[in-house]
Formats: sequence, C-alpha cells, structure tokens
Amino acid sequence: MLLSFLRFFQSDARHFQIVSQTIFVCIGVMFLRWDYSFIAILLTFGTALSIQLLGIYLLKLPLHSIKSALITAFGLTLLFKSNEPMLYALAAAIAIVQKFIFKIRGQHLFNPANVGIIAVILFTKNAWISPAQWGNSTALIFVIGTAGLAVLSRVKRIDTGLIFIATLFALEYYRTIVFLGWNWEVLLHKLSSGSIWLFALFMITDPMTIPTNRLVRIIWTMAVAFTSFYLTNFHFVTGAPLWVLVCFTPLTPLLNKFFPSKTFNWIHSTQKQFNHDTKIAY
Amino acid sequence: MTQRLLIKAAALLVLLSSVNAYSFCGFYVAKADATLFNNKSEIILVRDGTRTSITMSNDFKGDVRDFAMVVPVPVVLQEGDIKVVDRRIFETLDAYSSPRLVEYYDTNPCYQVVELDEANWSAQVTSTDAGVRMKYDMVEEKFNVTIEAEYTVGEYDIALLSAKESTGLKNYLIQEGYKIPATAESVLEPYIKSNMKFFVVKVNLDNQKNSGFDYLRPIQINFDHPKFMLPIRLGMANSTGEQDMIVYAFTKTGRVECTNYRTVKVPTDRNIPLYTKDIFGEFYKNLFTRAYSREGKNAVMLEYAWNVTPSWGGMKCDPCVGNPPIYNDFAEAGVWWAGWNSASPVFFTRLHVRYSNAKFPADLTFQITPNTENFQARYILTHPAGGPFDCDESQDYLESLRARRKVEVDELYALAGIKPNDRSDNYINEFVSYMINKPMDSMLKGEVIPGENSPMDASEIEVDEAYIHSDMEPNEAFLQNDNPEKKNKPWEVPLFLGSIVGLALFVTRKRTKE
Repeated sequence: MLLSFLRFFQSDARHFQIVSQTIFVCIGVMFLRWDYSFIAILLTFGTALSIQLLGIYLLKLPLHSIKSALITAFGLTLLFKSNEPMLYALAAAIAIVQKFIFKIRGQHLFNPANVGIIAVILFTKNAWISPAQWGNSTALIFVIGTAGLAVLSRVKRIDTGLIFIATLFALEYYRTIVFLGWNWEVLLHKLSSGSIWLFALFMITDPMTIPTNRLVRIIWTMAVAFTSFYLTNFHFVTGAPLWVLVCFTPLTPLLNKFFPSKTFNWIHSTQKQFNHDTKIAY
Repeated sequence: MTQRLLIKAAALLVLLSSVNAYSFCGFYVAKADATLFNNKSEIILVRDGTRTSITMSNDFKGDVRDFAMVVPVPVVLQEGDIKVVDRRIFETLDAYSSPRLVEYYDTNPCYQVVELDEANWSAQVTSTDAGVRMKYDMVEEKFNVTIEAEYTVGEYDIALLSAKESTGLKNYLIQEGYKIPATAESVLEPYIKSNMKFFVVKVNLDNQKNSGFDYLRPIQINFDHPKFMLPIRLGMANSTGEQDMIVYAFTKTGRVECTNYRTVKVPTDRNIPLYTKDIFGEFYKNLFTRAYSREGKNAVMLEYAWNVTPSWGGMKCDPCVGNPPIYNDFAEAGVWWAGWNSASPVFFTRLHVRYSNAKFPADLTFQITPNTENFQARYILTHPAGGPFDCDESQDYLESLRARRKVEVDELYALAGIKPNDRSDNYINEFVSYMINKPMDSMLKGEVIPGENSPMDASEIEVDEAYIHSDMEPNEAFLQNDNPEKKNKPWEVPLFLGSIVGLALFVTRKRTKE
C-alpha cells in the first residue's frame, strides 16, 4: 500500500512540486504572518480548477492535467496580492484560459501563474507583488532549496535554476562588492531573499515554457537573469524577474524550432519522456 | 475630561520619544568633540510617480554650532527644492497615527445601561562670482570633490557635493570642520559609486539667532528620481546599537511597503487589563520590542495605514488619537497634491523601523502598493459592568469576566512581557466576592475589595526582558485572546490545501499510473 503510493507519488514530478508549494503557503501563512484572505485562496483554487475541468471536458484534455492547474493556483497564492478577492479569481482565470489560447505546436507561450499576475497588475492597477514577503531567512532558503532540487532533479532542469542564481550572484557580486564597494552582508542580504530562490527554483524552471536545447536554455536563462538584474539595479523595478519572464517565455517556441533538442543523449531521452508526459498533461 | 486626556496623550508622547534611541538616515557629524546623540529620527516620505519629498526631523539637543548632517541624495537639488518646515507637523502626524487605547464598558446583565464608547489618547543665492569659483576649483582639484551648489535656507547652510572617491570627500569634510566617524569612508564609497550626491547641512548661526526658534527645524527636500529608498547605512556609521526611525509615508494609491525587508503589522486589537491605562507608553514600548524581536529583528513594522484624503468624509480612525491632518498640514508635510480643490486621494502609512548594523545590512527600498486596507495599532480596555449583581445571569457574567481578565493578564505578558504580579491576581479576582460559587484558586488569595484596583504605576512593572528580546512564539493565551472578528484562522489554510491536494491526487491516481 505504502509502496504503491510511493511509486505513484514518484511517477510525476508535479507531485513533488505540489507538496513543496503546499509547505510554502503554510509557512507564509502560519510563520511569516502574511496578510491573506481565505476567500481569496478559495477563489484562486476554485477558479483555476473549475476552468481546467471545463477544458478537460470540452477540449478532451487528460484528467491529470488538473495537477497543472493546481500548481498554477499555488503559484498565484504564493505571489499575487490584492485587496479584491475577485481579482484572484481573475488572475486564475487568465492564467488557465491563456493556456488554451496561446499555443504553438501544442506548447503554451506563457508561464500560467506568471502571466496571470502580470496581466492583473497591468490592467487593474489594483494588485501587487511583495518581493520582501519571505524575508531573508537562511532556514527558509534551505527549505526552498531542498524542495526545489527534489523537483528539478526529476524534470532535469536543475541547470536552469542554478544558472539563474549563479548569473545573478555573479552580476550582483560585481556590482555590489567590486564596483560599489559594499561589504558582503549587503550582497548576502540581496541574494538571500526567499522570492529570488522561489523564482529560480519554481517559476523559471517550468519545463513547458523554457527552451529544450540545453545550450540555448542556458543562454536564455542567463539573459533572463541579466535583464532582471539590469531592471532592478538601474530602473528600480520591483519584482523585475516576473516582468522579464513574461517577455521572454514567448521566445521559447521560436528557439525550440531553430535549436531542437539534440545534445546529450541522456537529456534527449529524458526530454522525450518528459515532453510526452507533459504534453498529455497540458 | 478632554484636558486630562490631552495631558495623558502628551505624557505618552514624551514617554515614547524618550525611550527610544535613534539616529538618522544620514549621519550627524560633530564639528567639535561633543558626543552627539540624535535621539529620534522621524521622516515624512511623500511619493507619487518618480517625485519624492523627504522631510527629516531631528531633536538635536547639543550646541547648534556642533550640528551637521550628511544625507546622500540621488540628484543635485535646486534651491527651490529645499525648505525648512515647522516641527509641529511631525507632532500632528505622530499624534494622529500613534498606537492607541480604546475603552469599552460592559453592560450589567441584570440592568441594561446605556453603552459608552470612549475614545482617548490617545535664502541667499548661489554665488557665481570669481572668488567663489576659485574656491570651487580649488576644492575640486585638491579633494576631487565638486561643490555642485551652495544655498542658505532658513537657519541652515547647505552644500550639495559630488565626489569621485570617498577619501577626498572625507578629507574635504574634515577640512571644513566636520568630525567624520572613522568608519564613514567605507560607507561613503558605495554612494559615490552609485552616482549619488551629498546633501551637507550645517547651521548658519546668524540666521538661527534671527529665526527665533530655539530648536532646529526639519528640512524638506524634493526631487524627481525613480529611486525610492532611505539611506540608513550612513546613519549607522557612528552608531552601534539599535536606532528607531518612524516613517510617515503619503501616497495617492495605497500603502508603502519595504521591498527588501519584510513589512509586518504590529499586533493589534488585543484586550489588555484595565490597570495598564497609565502605563500604556511603557506597555507599547515593550510590545514593540517583543513584536520586532519575534520577527527576527529585521522586519519593518506597520503601525498605521489609512485613507486620510482631506475631502473624503469616511471614518479616518477608530478611535482617533489626534486631529486628522488638514490641508495646511499636508502642504507642510510636502504632500503637494492635497490642495483645497484637489480630488486626489491621500493614503497615510506609518512604518516603524528599529535598525541595527547587523540586522539591516542594506538601505531600505520601498514600493507603493494599491493596498488601501486600513490598519491601526489598537489596544482595548474593557470596564466591568456596575453592580449590583443580583440576578441569575449575573453569575454567568462574573464567571466570564473573571475568565476574560485571566486572558487579559496572560495577554499582557504575551504581548509585552509584563509579568503577572499580586496586582494582576487582585484584578482577576476583583469580583469574586459577588460570586456564589467561588472558584477554588481564588480562595487562597484572600478577599479582594471590588473597585480598589488603582491604576498600575510604571515602577511596578516587571518585564521579562529575555522573553521580549527573543523570537520564541508566545504562549497559548496569546492565541486564545485572538480577536474573534479577525477573519483569518491560519489552520484553515493547511486544512484546505491538504484536502484539495489529496483530492486532486486521488482522482488522478489511475491516469498517471498508466
């Protein structure tokens, strides 16, 4: 019984992701004392799941694509803030519906939660993100890091998460310590933000919306990190990575077309397996 | 009555301001060797789009000749961008947004009494002539420091400097007679490299004498730059301990929140014992220490957030501790859009930052959010009903009163680390003599005479310092006494998420197996 559950649990990387995200929301609500509204959480999950179920029924999608909608709902709960509970529903609706609309060769263009958040912030001006809500606790980063690695090792996207962090670290190191002359504490403070780690390990790494070719993916990730760094430090944009990601994900189908995945064999095979899985999923 | 309340409010303010140890977002540098303490730093921060107005207040108490201040600013300020304002604006804003006590009265279950709800407490032109030019050139050559502008505004002589490297800037300031902290050089460097200018202020003695003020007035600066931050690191160059800063922020859209430290609400809407009425200042001081320690000492605390649009008729506080700011106050505070016929909203956020070198390694950066949810730090005293307690219902009431008071006493400890003592035992058992079934544990304590519970004196307080400086979770009473109207019950979330995740996994179990 337990063994079969474990086998089932390991059969899909999304299970790890869902469990991690559940833990993060609980940490935020119970230990970091976030301002949240229970109604808003209900609306987020309710909207995301019911639209996905509708999609499953009308578009004949597989039932287990419901897990992807669940992940999107978690993503919104973790990042999105508004005083209006209905805007949570709107963000969830945009996130899920756009998946059915903006599709090229069976792949959607945007990271669902990402585009839901940005669209509502942009169009309603009544929502925001709080990049500092996770604080700078090393314990938390450890939790996010462990969970992130567990998920990413299953989808073979550890490279993306780590390259994002490493690029950001290199750029911030150069600017903060070498150029500006601040001490190490300032750098560590910047890079110990829980939001950055969550973004690096749980958002940018969504295998559906990033290039499949390894080299291209690495360059693409570095470009996201560089642009985020630039917007944060020189244009003082709050939550820059989210804005950058929403602009960069539509490039993915184009990059996949010109640089199809054919590098290392082991990546190729897992890739094939993964694509097979996720195509069914979405 | 009103007068008494005013005195109380005033006493509270004095208390609150005298208990904190402070500095500033820039640093004070002495011209003589006098040791300087900047007791309190208060900032009014007004922001819309990329335009910012910062008003800095200080309660500098030394010889004015020793006063000097260096603040990094993102652009060279024009003379019209700098002004001095009346100190009273800070008092108005502080009084209005301070944490508050509210009193409620129980009704006697036997006799319906009218319910009361009492609220309480609660310039010369830059010279361009040849001589000055020469001085500028000399400074530039010798120290690599450019004097971008010099103004005299009110009682202050102001210079705006830009520099290429920190040693030159330091040497220049030392030559000018400023006493620079030894560690300042390394802190100046990053600001120079970020292309920031230095707003350097000292007192113009003649103007100070003529101004008729016996204190230094706050300085207000206005500029247009996308950077929305407060440079606190410079203020730590000459300090080791913790410093308090209160930020009164005004925007058109909603709350201001910090983007590189957590912004957390102080505990609010808590029931505390009646005898804390006269020690409210002391209570809040300890409560703040406790709340900020619980957050790991590196969070920005939210004390007040409210829509204060002058033309808006809605309730602006409950209860109000001071008069709401009016048009003149907004003008003085630098809220440029709050004119007589302006329809633009004004949202007021009060943030309390207690920063230290170790816990706040970087300057504070902020963002404006559209969050218009109101918030105030509010503590509740509930007076018991008057006797006689001669009906059956009254026994239930006395039971509940005693239970409530127990929680209030626990709460006082949970919130502010104030230890229970004989006084609190008497408080809990005050009405036991009216009870038919006397509770067991009150028997041992001896008779308490109702009504003889005088207010607590500050000297009676015994604070558990270890507890309030720790980040441990408070005891159960804290959670028990949670405001029942509060909409959030944190256990709902894990319960809901757990069931929905379980359900999703259950319904998809077969498909994924295939």
